[in-house]
Amino acid sequence: MNIIVLIKQVVDVELNIRVKDGALVEDGLNYVISSWDEIAIETALQIVESVGDGEVTLVTIGPDQAAEALRKGLAMGAHKAIHVSDAGFDGSDSFAYAKAFAKILGDRDCDLIIAGKQAQDTDAGLTAGMLAEFMDLPQATNVTKLGQIAADKLTLHRGGDNGSEVIELSLPAVLTVNDSLYEARLASLRGIMQAKKKPLETLDLAGSGVDAATVGIAGRQTVIDQLVEPEARQAGQKFEGDEEETTKQVLDLLVNEAKIFA
Amino acid sequence: MPPYESLNYLDIDSLLSEEERLTRQTVRDFVTRQVLPVLQDAHRTETFPEQLISEFGKMGFYGANLDGYGCAGLSEVQYGLLMQELERGDSGIRSFCSVQGALVMWPIYTYGSEAQKEKYLPRLATGELIGCFGLTEPDYGSNPSGMLTKAEKVPGGYRINGNKMWITNGSIADISVVWAKLDGKARGFIVEKGTKGFSTRLMKGKFSLRVSLTSELHFEDCVVPEDNILPDAEGMKGPLSCLTQARYGIAWGAVGAANMVYHTALDYTKNRIMFDKPLAAYQLIQAKLAKMVQEISKAQLLALQLGRLKEKKRLQPHQVSLGKMNNVRMALDCARDARDMLGANGIIDEYPVIRHLLNLETVNTYEGTEDIHLLIIGNEVTGLPAFR
Ligand SMILES: Cc1cc2nc3c(=O)[nH]c(=O)nc-3n(C[C@H](O)[C@H](O)[C@H](O)COP(=O)(O)OP(=O)(O)OC[C@H]3O[C@@H](n4cnc5c(N)ncnc54)[C@H](O)[C@@H]3O)c2cc1C
Repeated sequence: MNIIVLIKQVVDVELNIRVKDGALVEDGLNYVISSWDEIAIETALQIVESVGDGEVTLVTIGPDQAAEALRKGLAMGAHKAIHVSDAGFDGSDSFAYAKAFAKILGDRDCDLIIAGKQAQDTDAGLTAGMLAEFMDLPQATNVTKLGQIAADKLTLHRGGDNGSEVIELSLPAVLTVNDSLYEARLASLRGIMQAKKKPLETLDLAGSGVDAATVGIAGRQTVIDQLVEPEARQAGQKFEGDEEETTKQVLDLLVNEAKIFA
Repeated sequence: MPPYESLNYLDIDSLLSEEERLTRQTVRDFVTRQVLPVLQDAHRTETFPEQLISEFGKMGFYGANLDGYGCAGLSEVQYGLLMQELERGDSGIRSFCSVQGALVMWPIYTYGSEAQKEKYLPRLATGELIGCFGLTEPDYGSNPSGMLTKAEKVPGGYRINGNKMWITNGSIADISVVWAKLDGKARGFIVEKGTKGFSTRLMKGKFSLRVSLTSELHFEDCVVPEDNILPDAEGMKGPLSCLTQARYGIAWGAVGAANMVYHTALDYTKNRIMFDKPLAAYQLIQAKLAKMVQEISKAQLLALQLGRLKEKKRLQPHQVSLGKMNNVRMALDCARDARDMLGANGIIDEYPVIRHLLNLETVNTYEGTEDIHLLIIGNEVTGLPAFR
């Protein structure tokens, strides 16, 4: 079972993020693998380990430093990685990335493509779905549990609106995973040291075979007009004193200001 | 509490390579997930959380800076960062890995025969075997060269007699690296658990390093096979060179403990309102925080420089003394201030501060007391030994 995992390096959202003049303040930011993508790596490793053969290949499109995310994934246990890096991708949207991945992965032999259900920074969750479409592959999004794995098909549970759906998919296929599926493993120290010796292929736009006109500003279908910091939440109000009195005040506010019954 | 970050006041992170930062983050995440949640109970019950033994092995924490035999093969700075992050959890947790790596695996790796290395190192690396290091005796602490434990050559092996005290992991160890005098010279012996004439006794009632087990070792006509002597260590250089390895790790570890108490004190004083303002808004509190930032930053640079020297194989034992002495004292001072800043919460185990403070008293004492390191440095700069 050969599996390709799409990963994205994102800003660590747990630490201080600031926006200035409509752009992210880069200074002091920490970059990590988008957390759902870590689950995707874990899923791929678990499948390969349980099947007992096959390789996990990580792929990312991103700037030079995105290689860090690949090396971390290799340290977790993935077998090889492909880093597509070119300024020509700057300004791409999900559509353009999905087109590019379809081209990059088109001739690679694989049974499964796995990604996180969305990226931690944009929360868009579009790329993998469009990729499945462009590659004409079956897909299941928001996978919450894996069932039987055979050479040519897979059963799984996905979180749907009305409960859990049990799906059988023929392979090859595209999956996106929910964070309830697994807890991503930590790399071991041995894994970190071995990661250096694993193959990491770096491709530029030309090398990737992607048509420059389909990516970057030329290839995108959507544009981010503005980037604004979320409004600070207003401080809550505290009611102290006589219980009956404060209950009345709160009820009054709930009914007449928050209009909870309206 | 906000997610833990170590102090980066001088942008020291930029002096670390990507691989070093990944190592640090990995161990940090491990400590957050698996170590912090079990500490309160382990500390209260004076036990070592045994389920961690094999987990440490899987992660590659044992003998992590050694090459081959199933060891991770980390660089010296990566190894230091491992110690730092473990001790951010607890000094006893770090001690467990320090003893196994620096005091048991390192001497076997450095002074052992190939057969000894192959027999013991791979299983020590996974945690299948636990080791301890027996040097200190009831009457010989700072002055181990006076040790009374004796070995004599007998047909087929060596007969050991004597007592060791304050031995980390002594009563749970599968193998003990024990130092004894053979013909007046210190030699290292590997004593396996269950060897006739060898017994241990757990020492209870410690107020410090409670998460670590400390024991006495007793040898009464204990005969070990000929193959169990470390062939390449003769004289005090043997055990002392092991101590240099462990002290190097402690110089880093102390930075982790200091970072943890600083992180806790900073968060606590920003949120604790007293006289209508957060404590952190008062000059007296800020002075303490600023002092911690100052001292931790210096200690970080010191540890890192020791690491870079060690990587170039230029690190001298007296330089390690400076690092161990300075950084542990620094951490102890930070812990004492942090304890004070948390008020009553500074003495309860809901917060990590009192545990670190108590632990650091041990860390200041073992592996050469602060005084002994002053004497080592004094000797180095004056050429006049003042030990006796
Ligand atoms: C929890 C714990 C775990 C330990 N684990 C181990 C272990 O795994 N293996 C092991 O071998 N040992 C271990 N030790 C022992 C430790 O290394 C010794 O306690 C330490 O070396 C100090 O020896 P001592 O306790 O006999 O103190 P002493 O040597 O009696 O010192 C007492 C005081 O006198 C001072 N002093 C001593 N000599 C001089 C001098 N010449 N001039 C001025 N002042 C001096 C010291 O600095 C100290 O303040 C451990 C200790 C503890 C507390």
